[in-house]
Amino acid sequence: MEDYKFLFKVVLVGNAGVGKTCLVRRFTQGLFPPGQGATIGVDFMIKTVEVDGEKVKLQIWDTAGQERFRSITQSYYRSAHALILVYDISCQPTFDCLPDWLREIEEYANNKVLRILVGNKTDREDREIPRHIGEDFAQRHGMYFLETSAKEAENVERLFMEIAVELMEQAKCKELPKYDGSLGPINGKTSSDSSCCLRS
Amino acid sequence: MSLTLLLEKYDVSTEEGLQKALNEIEKEECEVDEALSSALSRACTLEGRLRSASQAYSKLGEVKNDAQVAADMVDKTAGLARDVSAKVRQLDLARSRVAECQRRVHDLIDLRVCSAGVEAAIKAQDYETAAGHVSRFLSMEPGSVAAARARGPDPRTDMDAAARTLRDQLRIKFEEAAKIEDDASVERLFRLFPEIGRAEEGVELLTGYLAAQLEASLRRAGQSRSGGAVFADTLTRALETAAAAVERLRRLLPPSRHMLLVQGLRALQPTVCSSVRRIWSELSPRPRPRPPHDKPDPLRLEPALSELALALSRMQLYFNFLRRRPEHDASLTDDARRESVRAIDRIIAECDMTLTAQEHLAHYLELERYFLEESVNKAMKLSAASCDDPGSSLVDDVFYITRKVIRRAISTGSVDGMCAVMNEAGAQLERAARALRRGLAVTPHDVLPLAPPRSTPAPAPPEAELYLAHLAEAEAGAEWTERLATEACSEAEAAARASAGACDKLRSCAAGLSGAAASFRAVTELGVSSLRAALLPAVTAWGDALVDPDSDVDELAEEAGALPAALDTLAEALRGRLASAGDLLLTGVLDDLLTRAHRTLLKNTYDRRGGLATERRCRRVSLWAGTGAPAAREKARALSAAAALLALERLEHAPDALPPAALTPAAARDVLARRSDFKLEDIKRLKL
Repeated sequence: MEDYKFLFKVVLVGNAGVGKTCLVRRFTQGLFPPGQGATIGVDFMIKTVEVDGEKVKLQIWDTAGQERFRSITQSYYRSAHALILVYDISCQPTFDCLPDWLREIEEYANNKVLRILVGNKTDREDREIPRHIGEDFAQRHGMYFLETSAKEAENVERLFMEIAVELMEQAKCKELPKYDGSLGPINGKTSSDSSCCLRS
Repeated sequence: MSLTLLLEKYDVSTEEGLQKALNEIEKEECEVDEALSSALSRACTLEGRLRSASQAYSKLGEVKNDAQVAADMVDKTAGLARDVSAKVRQLDLARSRVAECQRRVHDLIDLRVCSAGVEAAIKAQDYETAAGHVSRFLSMEPGSVAAARARGPDPRTDMDAAARTLRDQLRIKFEEAAKIEDDASVERLFRLFPEIGRAEEGVELLTGYLAAQLEASLRRAGQSRSGGAVFADTLTRALETAAAAVERLRRLLPPSRHMLLVQGLRALQPTVCSSVRRIWSELSPRPRPRPPHDKPDPLRLEPALSELALALSRMQLYFNFLRRRPEHDASLTDDARRESVRAIDRIIAECDMTLTAQEHLAHYLELERYFLEESVNKAMKLSAASCDDPGSSLVDDVFYITRKVIRRAISTGSVDGMCAVMNEAGAQLERAARALRRGLAVTPHDVLPLAPPRSTPAPAPPEAELYLAHLAEAEAGAEWTERLATEACSEAEAAARASAGACDKLRSCAAGLSGAAASFRAVTELGVSSLRAALLPAVTAWGDALVDPDSDVDELAEEAGALPAALDTLAEALRGRLASAGDLLLTGVLDDLLTRAHRTLLKNTYDRRGGLATERRCRRVSLWAGTGAPAAREKARALSAAAALLALERLEHAPDALPPAALTPAAARDVLARRSDFKLEDIKRLKL
């Protein structure tokens, strides 16, 4: 039996090409693989991190952004402890699709799931979505917000670590016992007043 | 000792002193004499040794001379050996030159034969011979050809021209044979292309021919529609035809030219893809339920779902078939095989059929989710409607549905499909667990037959049966779901022949099912504790009655048996309705009862009569509990021991009456203090 105290499922969603796989690879392997092909179906990686001296295992599910994989990816929402919704700050259409993604999350995910909005590719010169627009959107929908760059390894570690810390706090509040295969609902703090806690 | 020292040491002025000095001198003289004689005795051996050393030295000189001679001889031999090997090398060189010359001579002779023969063979339409000549020409050393050129007209011009003519002729003949679908000629002609150094061109022509044939047979396969599962059957036939074409191509290719197979597959794949796409868009069953207006009965979707799953598995099978082709070529090196597999994987990943398979999977999953949800809805409605019927079967139905759906998903061979369906199945099982929790939230009155003492149990209301049935279902649900998770995981891993990563994925999704099992367990625990709470008033009354000090002696026999009888009735009611939850509940009830009795016992006061009656009742209960869980047995034994102390005739008998380790001395004293006729100081003095 592996030595960890908590296991959390984190699911990344968002349009195709926004950099979900790169974020996961950067965090789990420290790599930025350029020219990556589109993800097929769902992929999953594991990284164990330490929070306050306790081992936390993050099971990160990287989903395909293309429409035809939607029925596969939707089935993972329900058991997720945290959902990371990713858009590309240099691509307006990926931002415009966010309401559709939120509808999907409302429909399939646990209503108390921890939701984080991530604007990726801050290394790009051709920004189309200003930071405050993303922040406003996140605040309106009770989500945490963070801008990242998988290429420059900016805020990636922070993103996942903050999720681990937050989920652990929630788990401790509920006094969830050691992971026993059950993925009960977790008290998600999704009120807008707490969305500033991830802001830089 | 020197003379000066001697003079200092002894007083030589006196005779006595002189005598002493003389003695000393004489003693020293003796010692010196001894030393001299021993030195002299050693001189002989020294001389002997010196002699033998000088003899040895002279012998060494001889050895040195011999060694010198030997060294000279070795040197000479080495020189000779060097000469010999140099000559052998020269000989070898000469021999290889001779061999070279012979080959050139043969080449030159063959070249003449080839140049002369190729034209004639082409004219005589003997393409095998002509190709043989060209093949021979191509295998010649460039040196031979250059030598021939130096001696006369350039033979390459003729041969190249002949090869070109041959190639043109072969192409024409191939196309003619292809037009009349003369398979034998096509295969014969195809085999000649590698000989004239144009294997790729041959593969191109052959795959063109095979593709055209495939196209026609795929069209035929697409048109013959019969039987029920038209789509799956047609797709299967089409893929079988495609596989046959691939296999034929592989058989015709020269061995160890693995990239030719890849080239051929790349050329054939578009035809297969377009055919599969056509069959998919024309024939696939596409019931698209649009809730809430259009909600077909899930049962009606079953045939379509089975067909979609079958078609998916066929596509997976075809891809696996392609991936395994290089494995059949024993002449390939491991590297070459890996390279082929990689190239074939790329062809599969980039072809349109993969896209079709993905769209197909999406459609199947959408429909499967609808089927699962609606079937579970139906089961829930049925369960709710049959409230009066105690035989609730919600979990039974949901379990049956989820198992069927998971098995169907496993049959598709798609790991992502299996994972998605397992996730959905987990969600539905949790839903069933939640429905049961709602059913168990309110405990009906008199659900179990345990009435307070001296009263008969009220008849159980109809909802009591349902309540117990729900609890039994929750219990079974946990066990079944756990089993389903294990079963699904092993079956899926076997069916998918999955890689390590895919296995992890499957296992993680199966863990979601175990999560549903945990929900069922939680519901069971909730039900058991609710029932325990509902029985608590009766249990309290029984606990008080058990240790009641004011009992009527006349009713003693009847009274003592009342509680075991009541507990028997309760156990009987639980038996057959609940499995381990029943035992759990019974143990809990007994625990509540014994705890209450013990507490009450320590509040009452007893005379010997009351103590005797209590002891008799407690003994009977202890006997009854003797077959139960260890914890309850121990508690009953302690209570029985306490009651035995209350029934003592004399206080002094207490140490003998107390069974070992049943009560601590302090607890025993507390119990004894409840006897009104025992004095406190006596109890304190008692040795326990």
